[in-house]
Amino acid sequence: MSPALGGARREGREAHAARDGGRRGGLAHALLLVALVAILLVSLYPLFWMFALALRVPGEAGWRLGFEHFESVWKSGPFDRYFLNSIWVAAWVVGANALLASMVGYALARRRFPGKRALLLGVLATLMVPRQVTMIPVYLLFAKMRWIDTYAALIVPFAVDAFNVFLMSQYIQTIPEELEDAARVDGAGDFGVFFRVVLPLARPALAVVAINTFLTNWNSFLYPLILTNSEKMRTLPVGLALYAQGEHSVDWGPLMAGSSLATIPILIVFLIFQRNIIAGITQGALKG
Amino acid sequence: MAGRRATTGLFLSPWILTFAAFGIFPIVFSFVLSFLRYDPLNPAGASFIAFENYARALRDRTFWQSLGNTAFFTIGTIPVTTAGAFLLAVALDRRLPARSLFRAGFFVPSVVSMVVISLIWKNLYAPFGALNAALDAFGLPEVAWLQNPKTALPAIMLMDVWASTGYYMLLFLAGLQSIPRELYEASALDGAGTWARVRHVTVPLLMPVTLFVVVINTIRSLQVFIEVFVMTRGGPMNSTLTTVFYLYDIGFFKFEMGYASAIAYLLFLLILGFSVLEMRTMRRRA
Repeated sequence: MSPALGGARREGREAHAARDGGRRGGLAHALLLVALVAILLVSLYPLFWMFALALRVPGEAGWRLGFEHFESVWKSGPFDRYFLNSIWVAAWVVGANALLASMVGYALARRRFPGKRALLLGVLATLMVPRQVTMIPVYLLFAKMRWIDTYAALIVPFAVDAFNVFLMSQYIQTIPEELEDAARVDGAGDFGVFFRVVLPLARPALAVVAINTFLTNWNSFLYPLILTNSEKMRTLPVGLALYAQGEHSVDWGPLMAGSSLATIPILIVFLIFQRNIIAGITQGALKG
Repeated sequence: MAGRRATTGLFLSPWILTFAAFGIFPIVFSFVLSFLRYDPLNPAGASFIAFENYARALRDRTFWQSLGNTAFFTIGTIPVTTAGAFLLAVALDRRLPARSLFRAGFFVPSVVSMVVISLIWKNLYAPFGALNAALDAFGLPEVAWLQNPKTALPAIMLMDVWASTGYYMLLFLAGLQSIPRELYEASALDGAGTWARVRHVTVPLLMPVTLFVVVINTIRSLQVFIEVFVMTRGGPMNSTLTTVFYLYDIGFFKFEMGYASAIAYLLFLLILGFSVLEMRTMRRRA
């Protein structure tokens, strides 16, 4: 089935959900709603609290709303730098995955080559190995290459994610091969076919790759923590965590302003692409 | 044809290169490191010490304590998270007003950075924070959540349940929506009540999703790190020291990278062992 491509199964779902409709159990239904609203409040309250603390600044009546905490971390954090680093790294990682994972996915979907099975099994096996096992050698490798504290260290290890490769490969398999043959007859080479036929048709899967990669990369912590050591190279999560360790450990206003800065882009992406994100996760689960 | 093979190679090359550099190489190299005494500041002084790093780990009481904490965290959170996620999914798998609002609202904590979540909850748990204010309001004594060795780890666990339940709820919801409606109708015709339907239709059919949820959650829980890094740095009195935090401390503060690699491999074996064990027991029950 084509993965995660919006609510294609939506109508079926609604009909399915309707089985519990009915007037019977109106009280139980109301109680359930009350419970769900309570859980929703618990679920959202900490995020509300973050924004509240970030926007509350000392005023005549105890406090007032203002952006002073944001201004203070933006300049002194230096969260402006962290923010730009996060954007820069995420843009490269998303772009690299969109291009490279589709290239690899295309080769996996369409070509036979010696060692294909071994490669797939090998990659699946390495996915089982936790990051903690690989982080020390990667750190030592990058230290040797003088890559510690560079953008390359934050981008290259994440440039081709295996899940993205599998997703692209599965999607490309659903594209009729005749379309490629037709382009070949018109004189297109391998690259022409890939860039002008396959990539445009794979756009829905590319969107899933881009969204998922952005969400993961934006919150990525362990590797950026060990692979950077100067303030100017930190991404938002690392900068924020280290800012919170030192003299600022109880400056809740600035800390929550920094937290908000790290959260707002994610919330925007979530609100816009909610359906794709949820579909992406649930499709993965059904296959798993 | 030769040209075609060349482009196949070219298209695959990014994957093969990253697989070699960030997959195979580190796995092999850290295995080698686990038999060495290795200080990155003095690489020439590296020496082969065979199984000494592993033997040392087995003697190291702090390592065992970190394993105990990690196990407590895993065993304590997974049943709560799984049950909560299941119940929320069952509740949302019906016609409800604002169903998608509930779904998004429960899920949203899982897209927020764990660093941010940990900072917010550190504030909620603070001596004059919101949770103690709530306890005060009910006339209950205040709790020194993160400062007390007895409550610090449970406090982090509670936060983790809050942060991850929505994600697993989505997985259950997907599983529920794949159950054919006819099965419920058939069991209703057979006179099964709601509870019997949940027990005899929903639970067995959700076994594969449950297995997936429990295995994923085990793998994640055994790697708890950010929460500890941000909130307690392993304290007070090592009460929140998890294995990954200990390994990070040994590797990147004490620079004993051989020993850290041995711990990483032991952790990997544990993760692998638990995953296989869970898959076996739950498959048998399904």
